[in-house]
Amino acid sequence: MIRSERTPWRTAGFHLTALGISLIFAVPVIWVLAASLRLPGAPPPTDIELLPDPIIWSNYVQIFELLPLGRYLLNSCVVAALAVPFTVVVASWAGFALAQLPEHVRAAFLALAIVVRMTPITALWLTRFLVLNELRLIDTYAALLAPVWLGSSPLFVLIFYWSFRRIPVDVIESARLDGLGALAIWRRIALPLARPAIGAVSVLTFVQYWSDFINPLLYLKSESRYTLPIGLRLLQQMDITSWPLLMAGVMVMIAPIMILFVLAQRAFWVEVRS
Amino acid sequence: MRTHTRYRLSLYLLLTPFLAGITLLVVIPAGLSFALAFTSYDALSPPVWRGVQNYRHLLADDLFRRAVVNSLTFLALTVPLRTLITLGLALLLRRPRRGIRLYRAAVYMPTVIPGVAYALIWLWILNPVYGPLNLVLGALNLPTAAWLVDPRTALPALALAALFQIGEGFVVLLAGLQHIPDDYYDAAALDGAGRMALFRYVTLPLLAPWLFLVIIRDIIASAQNTFTPALLMTGGGPYYATLFLPLLIYQTTFDRFRFGEGAAMTTLLFAGVGGLIMLVWRISGGWGYDDSV
Repeated sequence: MIRSERTPWRTAGFHLTALGISLIFAVPVIWVLAASLRLPGAPPPTDIELLPDPIIWSNYVQIFELLPLGRYLLNSCVVAALAVPFTVVVASWAGFALAQLPEHVRAAFLALAIVVRMTPITALWLTRFLVLNELRLIDTYAALLAPVWLGSSPLFVLIFYWSFRRIPVDVIESARLDGLGALAIWRRIALPLARPAIGAVSVLTFVQYWSDFINPLLYLKSESRYTLPIGLRLLQQMDITSWPLLMAGVMVMIAPIMILFVLAQRAFWVEVRS
Repeated sequence: MRTHTRYRLSLYLLLTPFLAGITLLVVIPAGLSFALAFTSYDALSPPVWRGVQNYRHLLADDLFRRAVVNSLTFLALTVPLRTLITLGLALLLRRPRRGIRLYRAAVYMPTVIPGVAYALIWLWILNPVYGPLNLVLGALNLPTAAWLVDPRTALPALALAALFQIGEGFVVLLAGLQHIPDDYYDAAALDGAGRMALFRYVTLPLLAPWLFLVIIRDIIASAQNTFTPALLMTGGGPYYATLFLPLLIYQTTFDRFRFGEGAAMTTLLFAGVGGLIMLVWRISGGWGYDDSV
């Protein structure tokens, strides 16, 4: 906007506003970190403190003794890590096919994608359970991983579709004249050109399965297969008054996501800009 | 010509896993749900046809009515507020400046927090005795509240928590703003347009399709994202003050095994969300939205 208007006062005002807003959005996490380091069972603080005294790191050890959180953590990692490659393959295949198929197929797909996005997940809980039960997948990781067959989200298919659309038609044409099939063109030409899309979809997929609470809640029965979100729910049900331990559990759940988010930052905003 | 057909065929093959997924996980479950709504079914004995009995029963059911009213109240509170906040932040943080990446990251951060963790964080923040929110309000000599424990404030408190997970809409609007050429602003400014006029006649009309997308997404999200917070933070209480449709559907089907009734509620929820979207579409005339956005 009218850049000449940028006076020092305006700049200072902008930074003050932006900083204040950033603080409001970030402060809950700082509070949680502080709460997770407090002595369990001690009287809760009566005023805001940034760091408790003394700092009790052992809360983070204790929660792993109260519950097999280590096991749940591992399960979550396995599910999220398996989901990423499957999602990238299914979503990029679909995105590639859509970018190459004629207009009317694409229009039909886009309509379908919008309806799928519109469908409330609650609408499918029960009957998806019945379908998975029929396929004997209840209480397996396959039930948690089932959404990879949709590319995990229609959005991911669209992300790939958009980046494959940018490949010049001539490049594909000459590859076909060289006798390459669809699969070979996807693997040798399309995928290497879609690295940013692969990165973005991988991060988003990992976060989606790592955070997934409802699918394990509905489709898992054996405790040994529980994932971290269910573990957190169990921790909450064990003893509601032990806030420091519960908040330590929350930190264990969100720390990997935060780290991933910070690492992926650069790539992420580049993708947004384009 | 033959190779052309073969290529086309192999493209459809690449699309197959996705289409299989849609069929198995969306189309069949949605169809089954629609059919089960006309039956009484407990997953043990085969379903019994009951016609529109489930629907008739629901319309007279106080709990169901309560859940509908609560869900609509939540929607009416969160969708406009979330949209305004998202728009304001996108406008504020649209230009590349020093530190802009940090500010944007801070705004996006609550969105990446998993639902379970987010609910537990807010359960702590809203604790009436030693939650940080009341401590801050007390320190500023502002009135405090019992939040989730008080039937009058429980639903607004959940709405408050929902105001901070706006990252996706924020990204969409930032992308939309980047599509508006600088020339438009320069030309309008030359014609003597002030800041408000620029917003009213340049930014808003060009951003409208993106805004429409954000509002639609928000209606869908607000209609279903109440499940995890309601289950973990209030259990639907106190006195059903936060009983939303998704929670009632969950309790009806998975706790009480009334699959038919749950399916009927689901169908009504789907119809309701669809109806709301149609309404927004009608009012806004689509705002020039098309699938390319």
